[in-house]
Amino acid sequence: MYDQDADVIVIGSGGGGAVAAKELAEKGLKVLVLEAGPFYGNKKWENPNSERGGEWSSSYEDLDVGIYKKIYNSYENNMNDVVSGVFRFGPSDRRRAPWHRIMKQKGDIWQVSGVGGTTQHYWSQSPRAFPAAVDGIWPISYRELIPYYEKAEATLPVQFSPTTPKEELFYYGAKKAGWDLIPTLNVVTPGYRPNPNAILRANEHLMDPNYSMEQLHEMEGCTLRGHCVNGCTTGPTVDKIAKRSTLVSYIPLALKTGNVAIRPNSFTIKILTDHDPQGGLRATGVRFRDTWTGEIGELTAKAVVLAAGCIESPRLWLNSELPYNGWVGRGLTNHCFDWVGGVFDEKDLMSIMGLPAVYPYMGHTSGARVDIPGTGIFQVSCLSPGLMSFLTYGFSEAGYDALNPPEPGAPWNIHGRVVGPQLKELMLDYSRTMTMLLLTDDEVRYSNRVEVDPLLKDENGPIPLIHYTPSPKTLQRRDKLARYAAETLQAAGAKKIIRSDLPFAFLLHLESTMRMGFVVDTNCEAYQVKRLFIADNSVHFNGIGGPNPTLTTQALATRTADILANKYFDQPIVTA
Amino acid sequence: MHPAKSYAAIADPQTVATFRALVAAIVPNTPALAVYGAEQTAGAVDLHVDEYMIWELDHTLALMFGIELTIFPLSAPTAMLLNSGAVQFLASGQAQYAPNSSLWGTSPFAALAAADRIRVLAMLEQLNFDLGAVPPPYRDDGGFVVFIIDYLNRGTMFGFYSEWSAYGTTRLNTPTRRRLEYFPIGWRQVGYPGVSLGYRALRGFMLTIVREGGESIIV
Repeated sequence: MYDQDADVIVIGSGGGGAVAAKELAEKGLKVLVLEAGPFYGNKKWENPNSERGGEWSSSYEDLDVGIYKKIYNSYENNMNDVVSGVFRFGPSDRRRAPWHRIMKQKGDIWQVSGVGGTTQHYWSQSPRAFPAAVDGIWPISYRELIPYYEKAEATLPVQFSPTTPKEELFYYGAKKAGWDLIPTLNVVTPGYRPNPNAILRANEHLMDPNYSMEQLHEMEGCTLRGHCVNGCTTGPTVDKIAKRSTLVSYIPLALKTGNVAIRPNSFTIKILTDHDPQGGLRATGVRFRDTWTGEIGELTAKAVVLAAGCIESPRLWLNSELPYNGWVGRGLTNHCFDWVGGVFDEKDLMSIMGLPAVYPYMGHTSGARVDIPGTGIFQVSCLSPGLMSFLTYGFSEAGYDALNPPEPGAPWNIHGRVVGPQLKELMLDYSRTMTMLLLTDDEVRYSNRVEVDPLLKDENGPIPLIHYTPSPKTLQRRDKLARYAAETLQAAGAKKIIRSDLPFAFLLHLESTMRMGFVVDTNCEAYQVKRLFIADNSVHFNGIGGPNPTLTTQALATRTADILANKYFDQPIVTA
Repeated sequence: MHPAKSYAAIADPQTVATFRALVAAIVPNTPALAVYGAEQTAGAVDLHVDEYMIWELDHTLALMFGIELTIFPLSAPTAMLLNSGAVQFLASGQAQYAPNSSLWGTSPFAALAAADRIRVLAMLEQLNFDLGAVPPPYRDDGGFVVFIIDYLNRGTMFGFYSEWSAYGTTRLNTPTRRRLEYFPIGWRQVGYPGVSLGYRALRGFMLTIVREGGESIIV
């Protein structure tokens, strides 16, 4: 039918790659998607973690919600253990070790392989960038992004979070601490609001006792079951699952076009190039490795979209021996997170909400936020006990609270790790504890980077080595956010306040390792390799001011698909 | 990966003793908390979290060695790191309690009082010791020591307060063969009701995005 395997090959099927695949396929282009990890919820892979199964899926009819729900069992260790979890960065075969990345500092990398990528366990937060972090700073304007934001928001779709007990308590504290409601998607002033989340609106019958919870769970609409991070299963079919990871949002839409084939269990190890007759290098295809058999395959296309994430995209560039560019892998931003929690007395909760607990396990994993352009965000974020215990009490840049307690007058009673009998006493108060994730407006530094180790390799080539140290300005902003969060908890009546002081290299919101204007142009096409486009967080120019980056990646991937189809396939640009 | 049933048996006694001492210092058995219910006494050793940590460390690192992908088990060198740390800690006069001499031969780290074991971890993460005296892959690699000491804390907590221990007799199987055998004790201790299909917890909507005819408004 055509002299190449495809019009476009997309490397990676996470937050950006799935979007690019769907958008390109809807324009009639033939698209192949390569994904290193498993495809959950697909008839071609009934036991995706223990058997090889099929090779390609190209039909919407392959999707199977029964298989999906069997694997996504929502148990926190089974799902989120970084060594052996369903959601880990590693091969589909769970008898095998994860894929290693070298980090010579405290921290952890919270990324996931598999169709849907890290959106499988993300909390669905879909805010837009702060306009002030884009305008006059990025090589494109915020206004240029707006139509693409709107398209991605309508497609996912994005909706403001409902109020459950923990959001009610958060709003109560935020109002008392002096923050105003900001009823907007374009944040230009500080204030509080529900999270714009890619989660279907709460089931309209949820509060009607005539519907059993078993019935509601099989219907369309969120049931506030609180398992966003451990994998959502509410919904009648794969494409109607309440939490809109790209596995259940963009991937089914891509398959519906009939123009997309997805190959999981396929780790891309090289981007293939040749010299264009008009001069210059251009991408012509990829070489990949089957993670079950070790067999090597090659595919060709007229264009390649790289969307392997902020660590693997630069790794693949470097391992493909593409031209030297001093910004490949550089300028890594991470929102330099922190985590602040408050423990409440039952009587105070009764007087605020008429309820005896915070119920951290109910509702969206994170449903409300305070946005502060120029500084960052703090958002109520509550997890199941295993994840909550280590984030609140076990994971710290600051060492042990008992050996190095907070300075007098600090707005928190506990700073750093808590172990021993005190840990167990604090965990007894789990259901009366409200925790918050803090996301800092992180300054871009050239020294923060992803490179490849000169000696160490795995089966996919030289492995990534990651280094992240925040700037003094980033740390000042983070401290300011910790104080704001503590004030909000205090205003709500918290009896004990804990600042975890998370390790700087707790890597969640990686951005800008293949920056626009440095590695790619404003079309997100690589300066040095024509027909190679990048469609993941790595093309962001900075950390977008602190808002969670996925929606911006999805908007940009939509725009990149438009531009690619227009430039190389004469398709008119329709979105803008 | 290692065959499931034999896995617990292959770790050497020093490694086992060291990891039991580690997890007991982080999540101890607490008889005093029995006033809040009998289940509150159970600590990490009661739930076999030492085995969880050994399993995790032995299954996390795979690299090419020659032309073969090779697993590098990390539990034994990590136990040696803790024991070397304990020896250096005691030698520098920092211990606040006398060590238990009957355990010294098996594991110096285990011989220390729980509070002193935490001080050893703090000393190691501050790189306040002779990095040349610890085994590879930690020897002269302070960055990796700092990473792993932090992991030992959060890994123990995740093992204890997640459902891992409730995999019971299947807990050391490969993950697809683990089966829950009872309700997790860590979850009972904290009042977490477990995996749920949903909650009737809706208390309204602060804002809503309404999309009509290609336009979106906020109400």
